[in-house]
Amino acid sequence: MTAAVSDGSTGAHPHPDPAAGGQFDPGAAVSGELSVVDLVRTFGPHRAVDGVSLTLPQGRFLSLFGPNGAGKSTLLRLLSGALRPTSGELFLGGAPLRTREPGWQRRIGVLSHQTYLYGALTARENLRFFGDLYALDALDDRIHAGLASVGLAARGDDPVRGYSRGMRQRLALARTLLHEPEIVLLDEPFTGLDAHASGVLRGVLDRLRDGHRTVVMVTHNLSEGLDLAQEIAIQVRGRLRLWVEAAELRDSGELTALYRETVEAEDPVAGRVGAGGG
Amino acid sequence: MTYLRQLGAVVRKDLLVELRSKQRLATMGGFAVLVGVLFNYALDQTLVAPQDIAAGLIWMTLIFAGVMGVGRTFELEAEDGAFQGVLLSPIPRDALYLGKVVSNFVLVALVVLLVLGVFGLFFQLDYGNHPVVLVGILALGALGFVALATLFGAVSSGTTLGDTLLPILVFPLLVPMVVFGASATGRLLLGRPVSEVEGQLRMLAAFAVLATAVGAALFRYVVED
Repeated sequence: MTAAVSDGSTGAHPHPDPAAGGQFDPGAAVSGELSVVDLVRTFGPHRAVDGVSLTLPQGRFLSLFGPNGAGKSTLLRLLSGALRPTSGELFLGGAPLRTREPGWQRRIGVLSHQTYLYGALTARENLRFFGDLYALDALDDRIHAGLASVGLAARGDDPVRGYSRGMRQRLALARTLLHEPEIVLLDEPFTGLDAHASGVLRGVLDRLRDGHRTVVMVTHNLSEGLDLAQEIAIQVRGRLRLWVEAAELRDSGELTALYRETVEAEDPVAGRVGAGGG
Repeated sequence: MTYLRQLGAVVRKDLLVELRSKQRLATMGGFAVLVGVLFNYALDQTLVAPQDIAAGLIWMTLIFAGVMGVGRTFELEAEDGAFQGVLLSPIPRDALYLGKVVSNFVLVALVVLLVLGVFGLFFQLDYGNHPVVLVGILALGALGFVALATLFGAVSSGTTLGDTLLPILVFPLLVPMVVFGASATGRLLLGRPVSEVEGQLRMLAAFAVLATAVGAALFRYVVED
């Protein structure tokens, strides 16, 4: 069922939701389940993330939509540990997350707008560097498999500076998955990619839906996000306004209308602009 | 072992990037050579004996050249958000800092050798009977300098002023090091025995160790949200 959020204080997934009167019980969660409770992040007077609560069970793929400035990337940065919340808590598998602890960072993989790659190094050297930072074993095998999985095995010894945008993004995805994280956070992974690169990326993301990895993908591309996801959420002005099972929308084909309706209710201008790919 | 592996990865990556780009070495080395050339013409060596002022010149050249190179450490890291990727990894922040100190030290140490060569060539300096001690003094100075410059380079890179802020932050803190370092260097260039500079050597070592320890402890507060 579609679950709209009227007060904006919580997400709407039918999982622990203290603000809605439910009792949050971290101990009841399973390993790999990602939960946040009343997450707030402010920048001066601006509340970029404004009281978001959500629970994403292990192995689920969530596509997060919203207009520009909705706070989607900030939410992703909070989940990754790159930003500290102003208030609120994060839980992984029921345990509170201390995002500055190495144990937490090993469990997360982040693919951002930026690729986090060094242009002067080759693809193999980039992966080796990050593999060493994560102190991974069997690193040669991981690098070989990672490059092969994104179709870059033949270009592994070329400097990244000579790569196209699509090749860099594919390599960035290999870097993201090198340490086999339980949780994968993707921020606009399809931005700037041509059809071929999108296809390769789509194939890798498809393989992430293995029932073990929990994935959160921020995107403006409604159709791409809907195809990949099991859960759909819409964020507007820092708050989660809607959470729905993706299968329902795939059957009904109502996502574009639902998106416009949800966004317009909070942000009429952004709602009229709409989202791409939809 | 994990700690050393992570630290080593930062050193190896930094030096590899520099080996490929040569941006910082070229800048620092070029500056050191130009200073030597200009002072060669600026000084009337019939009035001023180079041996008398060489210590100060060597230390100033080292520090100014060092600021030009070390100040760009985090500018180069900003390419495509690479440093953010490093911060999302489980590397301890002190290991990250120490890795950067080691790689910056290697670059500045190369410039130290270049400075000694350039000033020896232009001013016919006699490095005395204790060239190894002289290099040791400058190496301790280089370590103290990069320890502070790496920490404050991270601070200044996060501001709108960028690396132009670095000298303003670092130079006042370098005063004790320059006092002891230039004094010890001057005495050795004048042929004094090593026993006369043992006190300065200890102070330089203490400064370098303290600056490195403080930098390692504070670095996480500089680079994290």
